[in-house]
Amino acid sequence: MKSLSRRSFLSLSSQFGLLAFLPPVFPSRSRFRLFNRPYHPTPDLFVAKNGKPADLVKRVVDGLGGMDKFVQKGDVVVLKPNMSWDRTPAQGANTNPQVVAEVVRLCFEAGAKKVRVFDRTCNEAKRSYEHSGVAEAAKKAGADVYFPYKRNYVLVKIPGGERLHSWKIYKDVLDADVLINIPTAKHHSLSRVTLGIKNLMGYLGDDRGKIHRHFDQKIVDIASVLRPQLTILDATRLLLRNGPQGGNLRDVKWINTIVGGTDMVAVDAYGASLFGINPTELGFLVEAHKRGLGELNLKKIAIHKV
Amino acid sequence: MKQLHKIRILFQILFFLFFTFLFFQATFPYKPLIPSEFFLQWSPLTALLTFLSSHRIYAGMIPAGILLFLTIFLGRFFCGWICPLGALIDFADLFIKRKRKLQRDSIRFRWVKFGVLTALVVMALFSVQFAWFFDPLALTNRTFATALYPMVAVLTESVFGWLWPIGFLQPFLMGVHEFLESWFLPVNLHLIAQGIPIFLLFLGILSLNLISKRFWCRNVCPLGALLGLFAKFRILERTVDEEGCVACKICQAECRMNAIEDNFVDFSKVECVDSFDCAADCPTNAVSYRFNVKEIKGSKIDFSRRRFLQSLGSGVLAAGLFKIDLVSRESRGDHVRPPGALPEDKFLEQCIRCQECVRVCSTTGGLLQPAWLETGLEGIWSPIGNPREGYCEFTCNLCGEVCPTGAIQLLDLATKQKTKIGTAFFDHNRCIPWNSGDNCMVCQEHCPTPEKAIVFREGDFVTAEGKIKRVKYPYVKEDLCIGCGICVEKCPVEGKPGIFLTAEGAEREEI
Repeated sequence: MKSLSRRSFLSLSSQFGLLAFLPPVFPSRSRFRLFNRPYHPTPDLFVAKNGKPADLVKRVVDGLGGMDKFVQKGDVVVLKPNMSWDRTPAQGANTNPQVVAEVVRLCFEAGAKKVRVFDRTCNEAKRSYEHSGVAEAAKKAGADVYFPYKRNYVLVKIPGGERLHSWKIYKDVLDADVLINIPTAKHHSLSRVTLGIKNLMGYLGDDRGKIHRHFDQKIVDIASVLRPQLTILDATRLLLRNGPQGGNLRDVKWINTIVGGTDMVAVDAYGASLFGINPTELGFLVEAHKRGLGELNLKKIAIHKV
Repeated sequence: MKQLHKIRILFQILFFLFFTFLFFQATFPYKPLIPSEFFLQWSPLTALLTFLSSHRIYAGMIPAGILLFLTIFLGRFFCGWICPLGALIDFADLFIKRKRKLQRDSIRFRWVKFGVLTALVVMALFSVQFAWFFDPLALTNRTFATALYPMVAVLTESVFGWLWPIGFLQPFLMGVHEFLESWFLPVNLHLIAQGIPIFLLFLGILSLNLISKRFWCRNVCPLGALLGLFAKFRILERTVDEEGCVACKICQAECRMNAIEDNFVDFSKVECVDSFDCAADCPTNAVSYRFNVKEIKGSKIDFSRRRFLQSLGSGVLAAGLFKIDLVSRESRGDHVRPPGALPEDKFLEQCIRCQECVRVCSTTGGLLQPAWLETGLEGIWSPIGNPREGYCEFTCNLCGEVCPTGAIQLLDLATKQKTKIGTAFFDHNRCIPWNSGDNCMVCQEHCPTPEKAIVFREGDFVTAEGKIKRVKYPYVKEDLCIGCGICVEKCPVEGKPGIFLTAEGAEREEI
């Protein structure tokens, strides 16, 4: 082998160093596949009560017409459980791991190529992933579970946004074929309850603290672009007080309920009623309804018990 | 005998890797094979001096005791075989060329290390524990935690930045990043303060090699001095076959510790670090080592009475200077200590500034940072909270877990979650609801106590235009607040936050 002279070493390494100034010559364009499938919500909710969490999910999805109605063969599916908090499953701050595992299973059954699970956490990422139990359960069911990487956010325009006109959203969500939101039902001090729409914040980049000012409009701005095809609300237990992260087992009420629907506003409206709250009192739901994202009036929502 | 120095080099490398391994273990999830503070407890210097200043005895002193005991028989094998700083100094020496003549000259500085040790002992007796500044284990760990590791992590991240614009590489880069996150890179990197001075000090120590081999170990290191005192009557002896010796001077010139006397036969038991270089270097194989228990001769300690008295005086003076430094009550009270930290005086006497707690914290919440002068001259590089950069994770007690000296006592999780390290206060001029009448609840949302320490109360807000609107004002319930600081970190206000943390009400009891 020819030995490397100092001169050629320096020249070679400086050439490599020029990479530092590389403009995005081969930009990885986000294909925004998520926006290819239109959001056509119907105000039909399927509610299953009493049973093992996995069975409840299965009953709800079957009621909706089966997972293959949403997931086609070869699809890349992104799931949005709540795994933001460094809390155990019993404390009710994160989505029930068994619920997430069942959704992963159903997606694969419907022929999904990949199921991806990630969340930008509020507490430290590794702790939240581990202690929530979601990461392990999803991994066991075959999903790819990973931490969002800071460079992988894409600035997305929000047409018709009232307070936000663009925001950074995680690229893997935009490139997915299907987005399934799996929030958990919790008390929240500002929005009173946190359900599906608020759960979408886990995909946002930048300083999310800024969202909390004029929260109702901003969260709906986000929801207007990130429209999950399916929302499965994990109400196996409700966190009644000290949300959104709880910590006290006395604040958790087990009601073994799963709610599913294509209309994210309707799911949240029903979720609010579980807390005894009239959905019309919730600013973000009123706002979402106004923008045509879904039905708010419980009387106009068909509730199918399954 | 000829091969022994190779085994020594192998051990140096292994112990260095072991040290690095333990450093990397100090992270979440914390499932150590061997507790990551274990190596840091091998230093008899910190064990002795923390004891002299705080009169505390802790289990972590046992390894140091064993090491000291072995030194009585084997000499300063720690310096030659185990010390990670020694290994780094030897490694740096491979890249340094120096004039041979100077080698022997530096012998006149030999007394300095005993002087440093004497001064440190005196200071410790006046309850100023300053051994941490010199202790090679604490020093190396400190440099790792605040400078070397962050440097490697940041530069690695930059390489990702170079390659990221090449779109088709991104899935590959994500995969590599995921792999690195599993053991090496944190998901969110917390930078650590004081890395630059700490690194420069470290660089200075390596640079001393320009004067002579192992200049630091020969002349400055007080741990070396302490071990040397115990090695005075060691039974592992260097013996020279006087007929074989051709007085070629090679052993003396090459000895990294300058331990060989001018007749090439005698050697200093106080200085020799069992490197076995002389046995390997000897062209006539005249040098060998053996245990000699029959006639035990002690070696001279290069420390005159005059120097001793001078060092004693310097120690008193230094202790006095440390003690007259005014620590502003305001500054000290504005900074929290880790949960489980001993009462302040005891804490500073016990803390060896190894930054193990800061390291482990930076892989989770990231509250802890090495102080500069916030808690006084005596508090330099001791861990304080910087809640704007990180917070104390509610379900974490790792700082107590990894503290080698018990300056941070290990609290079980349930106790830690009720232990108050400080209290948060709203700054009404900065907080969004108080200052501009818009609802905001980021602090309240993140407040981790099971019953929230931040609560809302609805009230009227008068706008600049004189209009009245309803707003949810946040309050801190002092009795519930544990001072974790997550509210401060997450506060969305730019610059100075709307909520700040002080050490008010901190529970600092000795368990």
